[in-house]
Amino acid sequence: MTLSDLFSIMPIIITGCGALLVLLCGPLLHTRSNSAIAIAASAAAGLWAAFSSTAAAPAIPGLAFTPLAQLLIPIFCLAAALTLLFSHSYNVRRAILGEEYPATILFSLFAMCVLPCATNLLILFLALESIAFAFYILVAIDLGRAESAEAGLKYLLLGAVAAAITAFGISLIFAGSGTLALSAAIAAPGNRAIISAGWGLIVIGIAFKLSLVPAHLWTPDVYQGAPAPVAAFLSTSSKVAAAAFLLMLLAFAPPMPEMHAPLYLLSLLSMVIGNLAALLQKNIKRMLAYSSIAHMGYLALALLTGTKEGYAAVLLYGAIYTAMNLAAFGAIAALSGAEERSQISDYSGVGFSAPFRGGVLALSMLALAGIPPTAGFIGKFFIFYAAIRGGEMPLAVIGIVSAAVSAYFYLKVVVHLYMHSASAQATTELGPGMAPPQSSTPSESLALCFASLAVLIIGIFPAPLMKLVDVVLR
Amino acid sequence: MTFDFPILTVLIFLPLAGSLLLAAFRRSDAVARQVALCFSLAELGLSAWVCLASSLGTPPGAPAGFFLFEDAAWIERFGIRYTVGMDGISLVMVLLTSFITVIAVIVSWDGIKERIPLYFALILAMESGIQGVFLGLDLFLFYLFWEVMLIPMFFLIGIWGHGRRIYSAVKFFLYTFFGSLLMLVAIISLYLMHGAQTGSYTFSLTQLIQTTVPYEISLALYAAFLFAFAIKFPLFPLHTWLPDAHTDAPTAGSVILASLLLKTGAYALVRFGYPLFPEAARAFTPVLYAAAVFGISYGAWVAFAQKDMKRLVAYSSVSHMGFVALGIAAWSPVALSGAILQMVNHGVTTGALFAIVGMLDERTHSREIVTYGGIWGKAPALSFFFLLFCMASAGLPGLNNFAGEFLVLVGTFRVSPVAASGAFLGIVLTLIYTVRLVQEVLFGKENSPLSLKDLSAREGGVLAVLALAAIYLGVHPGPLLELMKAPIALLTGIR
Repeated sequence: MTLSDLFSIMPIIITGCGALLVLLCGPLLHTRSNSAIAIAASAAAGLWAAFSSTAAAPAIPGLAFTPLAQLLIPIFCLAAALTLLFSHSYNVRRAILGEEYPATILFSLFAMCVLPCATNLLILFLALESIAFAFYILVAIDLGRAESAEAGLKYLLLGAVAAAITAFGISLIFAGSGTLALSAAIAAPGNRAIISAGWGLIVIGIAFKLSLVPAHLWTPDVYQGAPAPVAAFLSTSSKVAAAAFLLMLLAFAPPMPEMHAPLYLLSLLSMVIGNLAALLQKNIKRMLAYSSIAHMGYLALALLTGTKEGYAAVLLYGAIYTAMNLAAFGAIAALSGAEERSQISDYSGVGFSAPFRGGVLALSMLALAGIPPTAGFIGKFFIFYAAIRGGEMPLAVIGIVSAAVSAYFYLKVVVHLYMHSASAQATTELGPGMAPPQSSTPSESLALCFASLAVLIIGIFPAPLMKLVDVVLR
Repeated sequence: MTFDFPILTVLIFLPLAGSLLLAAFRRSDAVARQVALCFSLAELGLSAWVCLASSLGTPPGAPAGFFLFEDAAWIERFGIRYTVGMDGISLVMVLLTSFITVIAVIVSWDGIKERIPLYFALILAMESGIQGVFLGLDLFLFYLFWEVMLIPMFFLIGIWGHGRRIYSAVKFFLYTFFGSLLMLVAIISLYLMHGAQTGSYTFSLTQLIQTTVPYEISLALYAAFLFAFAIKFPLFPLHTWLPDAHTDAPTAGSVILASLLLKTGAYALVRFGYPLFPEAARAFTPVLYAAAVFGISYGAWVAFAQKDMKRLVAYSSVSHMGFVALGIAAWSPVALSGAILQMVNHGVTTGALFAIVGMLDERTHSREIVTYGGIWGKAPALSFFFLLFCMASAGLPGLNNFAGEFLVLVGTFRVSPVAASGAFLGIVLTLIYTVRLVQEVLFGKENSPLSLKDLSAREGGVLAVLALAAIYLGVHPGPLLELMKAPIALLTGIR
């Protein structure tokens, strides 16, 4: 192993060491310092990855700094840094002061950095499960709230089953091909039946991670129970990581017609049921959970085309979805006092009493609805373009129609933000109305600024990001 | 005189700059009004100045008929370009937009009491979106503006509206959003088809026109376009969002909706629908005729039954826009120029009527016809303008709507006597509801002892300007028709 090999996996080292440092020195330091160290580590890892050169050859056995890693690691790092910025103030308000929080975020980031570098099925699996493992802890971190603990347990139990299924799938592929190396294992032509079965099991496992219908039932409960910043991180980076997992397998695989039907069904059901169920939600985080199910359905739509354009759309949408959802959950976190504003009606009049945070929430809703000039529109455009180009016209039309339906529940939030007054809400709803939001902290404002600028800039000038995505798939 | 200066870009983004300025500095309400007025006047001045360019020839690289043209790479991966161009038709629409926005700003000078900077910021943002629709020549760019336009109007209705404002705002948004998403599918399909045929993937209108689309597919694609445009138009039976949105919007919102937003649907049908799918458009002509003729009568019929003046004017829009649809369906030079002239006329007349209803509403807080009666004695100036615009709306010769409707009917009669005759029935019905409105509000006996102030100088000034425009367009539409002549010849030549 040479020095350049070490440099190429530097993001993994930085995040891993950062996590250990926070965990070991954390008890001696102030909460603020712990957060600062964690943010610095994620930023450093992200910048390092963005500006170093890629190599196809493995740096150490099983790990290579591929172009995919160069695209995804900065996205993961940015998401982690923003999550840490949001959660610092959020956690202080809730007295979650331990060093385990930033350390666990960094551990999951560490696993996320490993995932796109993996060249070996086993490492790929370990990375995916380590991410999930960190999230089992993060979801339940707010021990004072029963909801949080309940969500954590639910996620853990279902996640363990999904992990077992994925592991079985990988072992079947190993049995069929005789190797764990990613490039050789999937491309092996023999034992088609066993490999197909392995693929099927992997798709089931990933469907759980991506919360595709019918493996979506955990999502609303977990999002509702998890602290808002954790839900932000969970709904963005962990999904992108799971999508990347599938992409990395597909990229090496010869075309597999038998994969088309299950993915088609998953995509169709997710888009339709996700959007329809979101219509009925009164709780904003549950609504966003169903919205994320629908968005993952769009992702599956691009994925199942099996074309380069489809894969490019998946990567671009992953990046855009990360920015949109971070803005949405970040605004929810920043608007929360000692309690979160859980109901959509709790946001009545907030657009005027907290113009910046309300504005970011409204922007993220418009972006999730896919309205130009936000990034959400570019993402949807790319997805449906890829789907139509890939010959999936009927599914694309169904997706578009369901996207039109989705505008209703996103607008509902905007309507409450700007068109209902806070005082009217206090008299109509049971119980006391929400107090006007407290002023936001600088870290929250900074993170919201970042996320909303990303949503707008990608929406107006998407060309650079598209170029990056194309480099990965070259 | 050369136009190296990117004047179209300035034309599109100047109001947006004003909008951002207002959104950023929302200290003083008085300053906000003045800033909004300055920006809208500057935009109007700029549009008037652009008229000078209409005599210029086509610049290099521009499609035939376009005297101003700007083109820049935007999203190269998809061949998406920032292409804007102006021909005579766009110029007319741009002028109308700038003019009506100034009116909308002045009309809401005193009527809006809260969140004034935000209100004017949205009006200006709206103007940017509309100008973009009228100037965009890249289908992606056009689609972008087409959608962007919805957001400010959604907020205008939802925040400053009356009655069931939230219901109306959401209905307006969802209706139009749904229509446009299907158009997006059609745009992408056309893009892919063109790319597969020629190898050059582009959203440029001038290139996509040359795509050879199989007839059956072109029917489906055109239907998607027509659906999106017909909702904006609005054509019967897709008009149901309109009465709610118009009635519940604040006055300036109704003015912009009726005078400008509806025109984007008609404009887009002329600019994109027909040229892209000439054969499919011909196949759909009977549908368009039927919707137009039925809409004219239906709108007038329903308007007659209304008790709320704003709703009445809203339904009259459905009726008047039927004439525009009729002229487009006929697709002959005379009918088409009549249709575009009618778009301008309807913008002026209906905008003025909404403004007057808004003024009455500000005074008495009632839009019910029964609360009025005999107001001529109390507010003669207001009543005079009311009568004038009602007569214009009914198509009295010498006033603007007559010229447009006449051209549409003459043009259509040559192509389809049946449709033109059907439309004549609508004119009669129009007369009935207008006369009823005038009689019950202006004359007749006083229904309630209202104290009604006459027009202020500001209101009088706005209405006088609109009245001059109505009379000018009525007696001397020549210059406007001259502007459209060349592009219309090019458009109808396609068929």
